[in-house]
Amino acid sequence: MTASAASAGRRRAPRARSRLDRHVPGWAFASPFAVILGIFLAIPILASLLLSFTSFNIGNIQSWSSARFVGLDNYTQALTDARVLKSLRNTGYFVGVGVPATIALSLALAVGLNRVVGAMKTVFRVGYYLPVVTSIVAIAVIWRYLLAPDIGLVNSLIERVGIAGPDWLGNTKTAMPSVIAIGVWRNVGFDMVIFLAALQTIDPALYEAAKVDGARGWKLFRFITLPLLRPAMLFVAVVTSIAYLQVFEEPFVMTQGGPVDSTLTTSMLIYEQGFRFFNLGYASAIAYILFVIIAVLAVIQFRWLRPQS
Amino acid sequence: MSVAQSRAGRATVERRATAPEGRIAGGQRPWGLYILLGIGLVAVVGPFVWMVLGSLKTQGELLASPPTLFPEAPTFDNFTRLFERADFTRFFVNSTLVAVVVTLANLLFCSMAGYALAKLDFFGKRPLFGMAVATLMVPTSVTIVPLFVLMGKFGLVDSYAAVILPFAAGAFGVFLMRQFMSGVPDELLDAARIDGASEWRIFRSVVMPLLKPGLAALGIFQFLATWNNFLWPLVVLTSEDKYTLPVALASAAIGQNRSDYGLLMAGSVLLVVPVIAVFLALQRHFTQSIAMTGLKG
Amino acid sequence: MRRATHRLMLFAGLGLGLAVAGCGGDENSAAVPSGKVSGELTMWAQGLEAEKLGAMTKQFEAENPGVKVTVTPIPWDTAHDKYLTSIAGAKTPDLAHIDTTWNAEFAKAGALETVPDSIDAGRFFPSAESTTEIDGQRLGVPWYVATQVIFYRTDIAKKAGITEPPKTWDDLKAMAVAMQQQGGAKYGFALKTQDWQQFLPFVWQNGGEVFDGEEFTFDTPEVIEATAFYKSFFDEGLAPPSTLDAFDPAPVFVRGTHPMFIGGPAEVSTVSELGGKGFADKWALATMPTKDSGTSFVGGGNLVVFEQSENKEAAWKFVDWMSQPAQQVRFFEESADLPAVEDAWNDPALTRDKNIAIFGKQLEDTKAPPAIARWEEIGSMLNTEIEKALSGSAPPEESLQGIQEKAESIGAS
Repeated sequence: MTASAASAGRRRAPRARSRLDRHVPGWAFASPFAVILGIFLAIPILASLLLSFTSFNIGNIQSWSSARFVGLDNYTQALTDARVLKSLRNTGYFVGVGVPATIALSLALAVGLNRVVGAMKTVFRVGYYLPVVTSIVAIAVIWRYLLAPDIGLVNSLIERVGIAGPDWLGNTKTAMPSVIAIGVWRNVGFDMVIFLAALQTIDPALYEAAKVDGARGWKLFRFITLPLLRPAMLFVAVVTSIAYLQVFEEPFVMTQGGPVDSTLTTSMLIYEQGFRFFNLGYASAIAYILFVIIAVLAVIQFRWLRPQS
Repeated sequence: MSVAQSRAGRATVERRATAPEGRIAGGQRPWGLYILLGIGLVAVVGPFVWMVLGSLKTQGELLASPPTLFPEAPTFDNFTRLFERADFTRFFVNSTLVAVVVTLANLLFCSMAGYALAKLDFFGKRPLFGMAVATLMVPTSVTIVPLFVLMGKFGLVDSYAAVILPFAAGAFGVFLMRQFMSGVPDELLDAARIDGASEWRIFRSVVMPLLKPGLAALGIFQFLATWNNFLWPLVVLTSEDKYTLPVALASAAIGQNRSDYGLLMAGSVLLVVPVIAVFLALQRHFTQSIAMTGLKG
Repeated sequence: MRRATHRLMLFAGLGLGLAVAGCGGDENSAAVPSGKVSGELTMWAQGLEAEKLGAMTKQFEAENPGVKVTVTPIPWDTAHDKYLTSIAGAKTPDLAHIDTTWNAEFAKAGALETVPDSIDAGRFFPSAESTTEIDGQRLGVPWYVATQVIFYRTDIAKKAGITEPPKTWDDLKAMAVAMQQQGGAKYGFALKTQDWQQFLPFVWQNGGEVFDGEEFTFDTPEVIEATAFYKSFFDEGLAPPSTLDAFDPAPVFVRGTHPMFIGGPAEVSTVSELGGKGFADKWALATMPTKDSGTSFVGGGNLVVFEQSENKEAAWKFVDWMSQPAQQVRFFEESADLPAVEDAWNDPALTRDKNIAIFGKQLEDTKAPPAIARWEEIGSMLNTEIEKALSGSAPPEESLQGIQEKAESIGAS
């Protein structure tokens, strides 16, 4: 870290401060955030955590205290619920394919885009970012048309080369891959911009030096670009994983979890149980199971991808 | 490696110009690359173009099979209907108000908190950061109902405060700003402290100017997220005159059995234009900005 | 015959209702005031109805000066969730327009006000009224109804040698086969794979029920037989193997690949619009085919008043007013939503259109899904399980056994 490298020459602040005084500036700066976090985030989260140990459902809606305490029952039920397990598998599928695909594609795009000059650079940048900013409702309508079995554009096109296209979103085998493809398509712009920025920080002198040594193309990428992008890679990997583990919008709007639950993700199941059926106790339990998975994955990524200093 | 890294880091801190363009010696343009990128661009922009063209079609044409690309008889009917149907200017203003306030609040509070977490020492610092990151991992579906009940107890249901306050300082923004702040060398801060400047002075005059690009990044992210926010405003706003754009659009266009696709397309176009404008305006800073997220080491 | 029996049951129910609600002397006695009302009313409504309500509320305000009705539109797909959240946070409007299948659920949440007896239950179609009666209490008032009938291509049928609409289950099957094999269509009958609204009518037509008032009855022979019939369309390639929830049959109906489907009044206008000029005589509607009966599904919208309302008199007056035949006809003219009040159907506005007439005829034999609090969850489970049952190779008895178990574990309330 630059900070620690630079701290070797740090001078100590000359004025001695009392122990309490030392903490005041920190708290002063952090307090607006801490207050908002505490009230609007921590309290609802605590409430839902508490709810996960109760059998709260729609019958309790008028008087919350009537909910029964059931200990870990919701958790054990969730872990043995075939539908919950299926949603976890689906989510895993989405993350397992989607995260590497998004990262690889966005990195390739960023590297490619970095060599583009002038006005075209902005055009490409905005273009690739467009799916990120467009409303999911519009995207769903468009993609449903594109992927419709008989009348959709994709099948009409491949029909011309003689292949009969499947019902992309209606077939249990092709539905999830289609949703993953749409998810990747939608989010690649976001990661691409982050990589683009990180690429700007690589001192071109490094490339020149390497070229003098005879390195070209792929070698340059592998031995200079990639290692220097490690910190960016960590950020992108963590952020994308957290987001994809909670994937909701794309399958919700495109396929409503179908066909036959093949695109049902855990986030969707939580929404359905908690928000539509109002089984808030059960839904919260599922949510915290997902939370544990997300946290574990994040920790692994931090360990694996931490910058070597 | 670390020397190169710190050299690159320092160079970035002091550099203000854009990254050198045209890295290829001799000015050759990689046409193969352009073509590849261009094909990708069509795939990425195509559906968007279809959406814009779709907003000029009639419902019948939108449902036609096979689907058409260009409207047979382009009409602004969908847009006029949208504005007749309800006061869409009002919704636009609401969305803008909320998005701008939330974004500005985030810019201020997140950088303050980021500064504290990165540069100041205080009791509970690590737990606070840990909690912040942890909240990013909790699915929002389970917190909406408790939050709504909480809002009810505060008497804030159906108010602008309800759609602004919970988002006024997001954990994501704090995480991002913290990364940024770590890139600011401590020497600068210590030098200012020795000169007798208060922390606030240091924050305002030394640190913030260095972070203009970072603030632009957060600004874009936060504006986007707030502008497109649908579920919470839907739940907590109960008078139409406070509706934000996504809620109003969904109310107008989604039917019990079928949706009005023309309205949906027109509304989606309206929704996306400001976002692209903000992106275009800030994306120059944007690229330079993340250079400082500690992403480079 | 059936109608008379229903009226008898209704009177009995009313009597029960009177006893339960208690008459007179109650501070919050919910009786429709006879004079003019005043004050403010907030109402939530969805989609098209929200849009068209404006005309009605203006008239109501003119007839009751001093009253102000504010209609807030909310989107259909998330409305149910928003209502539940509002109930949880105790922030409900005075009255609301809700889907018929939510009535029982909101009632269970204790959020709704009982209907005053002066709003006579007999005015409405019995099946519509049944969606508002929970545990012997009336907790909503039908506003408009929607039912489903068979849409079929007369020209493709003719090409296949059929000139009469299908009257029995056998007719229906034969027609689907003929249209596919001789009529040149890709499919015979565009049934949906995950829509209990299309599935349940076949159960009812076969004389079956899925809920007997106390328990679920998915594993009864009538239901199994109906499932087998429904499944046969898929097994024989007459229906498309899978359809998305958002599947719109109208474009492919007009195109001719899917020459028959089940639809409601909304599809009538879409098909007409898509078909354009000269298409009108290429298709027709038919009431549901008969096995034991020709029952169809009835849904639509109900009006409910929330318990927390502070202006219940005005709210009920408005509800009562909306269910007068004059207003029902007027709203039909504005929105094309079919009136829930039987007398309204005598009006020329409804008798002159041949398609509307078919819906009217179908309305004489409809059923609503069980008015239980957990229907939202049961319906959702049904959709998933039916889809599995239709696409898999398991025999219907097995699938329905599974559905029965799942339904029992969810419970009715």
